[in-house]
Amino acid sequence: MSPRAQTWLVPAAVLAAFLGIWEFAADQGWLRPIQFPPPSRLADSFIDLATRGFPQGITLWTHAGITIARILAGHILAVMLAIPLGILIGSYPLLDRATSPLVAFCRSIATLSLLPLALVWFGTGEASKIFLIGYGCFWVMLSATIGAVKLVDPVLIRAARTMDTPQAEIFRRVILPAAAPRLMSGARVALGVGFMVIVGAEMIGTIRGLGSLIMEARTFYRTDITMVGMLCIGAFGLAITTAMAKLEAWLIPWQARVEGQPK
Amino acid sequence: MIEISKLSKVFANDSGAPVLGEVDLSIAPNEFVVLLGRSGCGKTTLLNLIAGLETPSGGELRVNGKKVTGPGAGKGMVFQQGALFPWLTAKANIAFAAINRGMKKDAADALALELLALVGLAAAADKYPFELSGGMQQRVAIARALALDPEILLMDEPFGALDEITRNEMQDELLRVWAQRRKTVVFVTHSIWEDLILADRVLVMAPRPGRFVLERRIDLPRPRRRSDPTLVALYDEIWSHLHGGQV
Ligand SMILES: Nc1ncnc2c1ncn2[C@@H]1O[C@H](COP(=O)(O)OP(=O)(O)O)[C@@H](O)[C@H]1O
Ligand SMILES: [Mg+2]
Repeated sequence: MSPRAQTWLVPAAVLAAFLGIWEFAADQGWLRPIQFPPPSRLADSFIDLATRGFPQGITLWTHAGITIARILAGHILAVMLAIPLGILIGSYPLLDRATSPLVAFCRSIATLSLLPLALVWFGTGEASKIFLIGYGCFWVMLSATIGAVKLVDPVLIRAARTMDTPQAEIFRRVILPAAAPRLMSGARVALGVGFMVIVGAEMIGTIRGLGSLIMEARTFYRTDITMVGMLCIGAFGLAITTAMAKLEAWLIPWQARVEGQPK
Repeated sequence: MIEISKLSKVFANDSGAPVLGEVDLSIAPNEFVVLLGRSGCGKTTLLNLIAGLETPSGGELRVNGKKVTGPGAGKGMVFQQGALFPWLTAKANIAFAAINRGMKKDAADALALELLALVGLAAAADKYPFELSGGMQQRVAIARALALDPEILLMDEPFGALDEITRNEMQDELLRVWAQRRKTVVFVTHSIWEDLILADRVLVMAPRPGRFVLERRIDLPRPRRRSDPTLVALYDEIWSHLHGGQV
């Protein structure tokens, strides 16, 4: 077997075995369907959700589209705010020392504990959801940016200074690209946070989105729908993270070798 | 013209004798001066002070009669590890400096290509630093430092990380470039042969406080041969200063 085939086949075989055992256990009555609906039941629900939809005929695709749009909106806003702010904080040790307790503090507040406040501040509409996702992503991205900037090789900045580079240009043309590889991985981690926050953010004030699908299913004791929704979130999270890694390799062609690994 | 008088440097977070004592030094236009000394004797610190990357703790530092207040302004620098921007091609690394001077991109690219040709790397214009050998990277770094057409070229152990054969080639290369574009060069090294091959004047440094303990002019024409008896004699003299009890 080629190593390439192995990387795919082995996890696939493990997954198939896992599903097989699960199905068998459910079939034998060892697992209660309400707690652990068997994979065959999940497949049926998936088709049902994809074609007829739930609740009120909202299909899985509509839910997923709305959820992804919310996550991306919150994530992109957070990243766009965090990068310039993080570059500034990371570049000035005094500013970094002054703000680091605040950053650690805000980062530690569980995002969903802000849900009641978000509802008061932004109402039950889209804004509160995007705020919650953005909040979760922002602090992660901000710490990642500050860290990335502090790790920029100071000799690059010195080199730029000997070439008459104005400070604003040093931020844009030296620190930003030098920090780019770590910014990209920070953005990936932040996106993961977005996916973790989404179910909570969609709990109130909407029946659209994978998060609300999951909550709505709970009311009807539809464990199968909850699981399909969970699996969808996981699958989209995986897909987007993979796409970001590809984008990263394309945007930062020098990175692979800089870290000392062949491409 | 670089004039240094009673220049000293003490780092805030550093206890003990000053990194640089009160040193005096005057460097003529187009002179090739080499600072030699073992690790930690303050060579980089002195070079950074001249570059304007560090501020003096005391004394005076003037270039062409004007007090040095910051980097840039006619002082190009080549760092030990090249310090090329890894995200830019060789050409773009060199054009970076020219663009800062307000040059249009086309003109900056043309200048970059001209300088790459000067250092013998015309074919590598579109390669990224990671695609270049250490010696090639240093050539790009030299070309980049020349892009602003500085009057003064500061070089901090630029060939220190290269193997000996490449290092010798680079020394020839540097002398060739220097012959074409006369500059005042302040070159730091810890290799005795390197300074004998390159320098108009050698200054041997000793640590804590960083100071000059030996100064020698070398008036031999270039290229020089290592077997030259004058150089051999100088080698021994410098060696004993670096190594013996006279420091
Ligand atoms: N930023 C700094 N802060 C504190 N000490 C420093 C700093 N830079 C250099 N030194 C100290 O100054 C001395 C001379 O350093 P340096 O100029 O780099 O020497 P060289 O280049 O000759 O090896 C060393 O003892 C070093 O530890
Ligand atoms: Mg040094």
